[in-house]
Amino acid sequence: MEFIVEKIGMSRTVDVPSVPVTLLKVVETKVCEVKEDGKALVAYNSSKKLNKSIEGQQTKFGVSKEFNKFMTIEVAEGTEAGDLNPAALAEAAVVKTSLNTKGRGFQGGMKRHGFGGGPGSHGHRFGRRIGSIGNAEWPGRVQKGKKMPGQYGNTKTTVKNDVVSFDAENGILVLKGSIPGHNGARGLVRIVK
Amino acid sequence: MRNKYIESFEKAQLENRNIPDFRAGDTVRVAVRIKEGNKERVQNYEGLCIAIRGQGTGRTFMVRKMGANSVGVERIFPLYSDSIESIEVLRKGRIRRAKLFYLRELKGKAARIKELRRK
Repeated sequence: MEFIVEKIGMSRTVDVPSVPVTLLKVVETKVCEVKEDGKALVAYNSSKKLNKSIEGQQTKFGVSKEFNKFMTIEVAEGTEAGDLNPAALAEAAVVKTSLNTKGRGFQGGMKRHGFGGGPGSHGHRFGRRIGSIGNAEWPGRVQKGKKMPGQYGNTKTTVKNDVVSFDAENGILVLKGSIPGHNGARGLVRIVK
Repeated sequence: MRNKYIESFEKAQLENRNIPDFRAGDTVRVAVRIKEGNKERVQNYEGLCIAIRGQGTGRTFMVRKMGANSVGVERIFPLYSDSIESIEVLRKGRIRRAKLFYLRELKGKAARIKELRRK
């Protein structure tokens, strides 16, 4: 079972030992169409974007104008079209959360892959450069998958966390530990156990 | 401003907590629960509160005292924690700033804080 969530931010508990927690808000979701393989087409609100194709989908499934984003997610057996009920999260003990990590832009090898770099002083010109990237006349090319500078972050990452609590009234899911992404990032939680 | 959901999550935990009102410059006695193996006992730590920082459940305070051989000892306690049995305010100090880190450089008589006189 999957639910669309939004990352709110982090806090902690006052118990001994104190637990670092991440708060997630379950985004209001409408089930449009249940498919055979346990999946369903759902609609949720994301920005104000609206065009004729979205409007056409909305009239087809009879959802209101705010629900302007469509997505296919896994749903529980016996789910019917209408509001998606997040009550199952109350019984969940472990969930997997998929979000995009914070985008860091174009980064060098040291930050992106943890390269060692060279000495900063003593007459060196190595600094933060990546160094040699290949061998000699043989193989005469750079190995595929060679770690190099490039875009770092903003990739989908999945982490597993324990559930601390779930507030059904406000739809607030509290997880132990941290999850990827910035506050306000949207992603999916999947119930593992 | 903090998010309202984070605030309500923290508020629910901070209910019914009896924390006295104190600030930097006050002398406090903190009773800390210490667990050794299966035994649990309470240890008192007394000193001058030199800073309070943080917000919500993460709020902490720093207590400085002079230990043996005039070695300064500073401990940071979480203000809201189940490991703090009680906090007792022994003396109110008259101070002019929120963080009293300048006391670290002072010794002996210079490192005193005047008591707050209530009008």
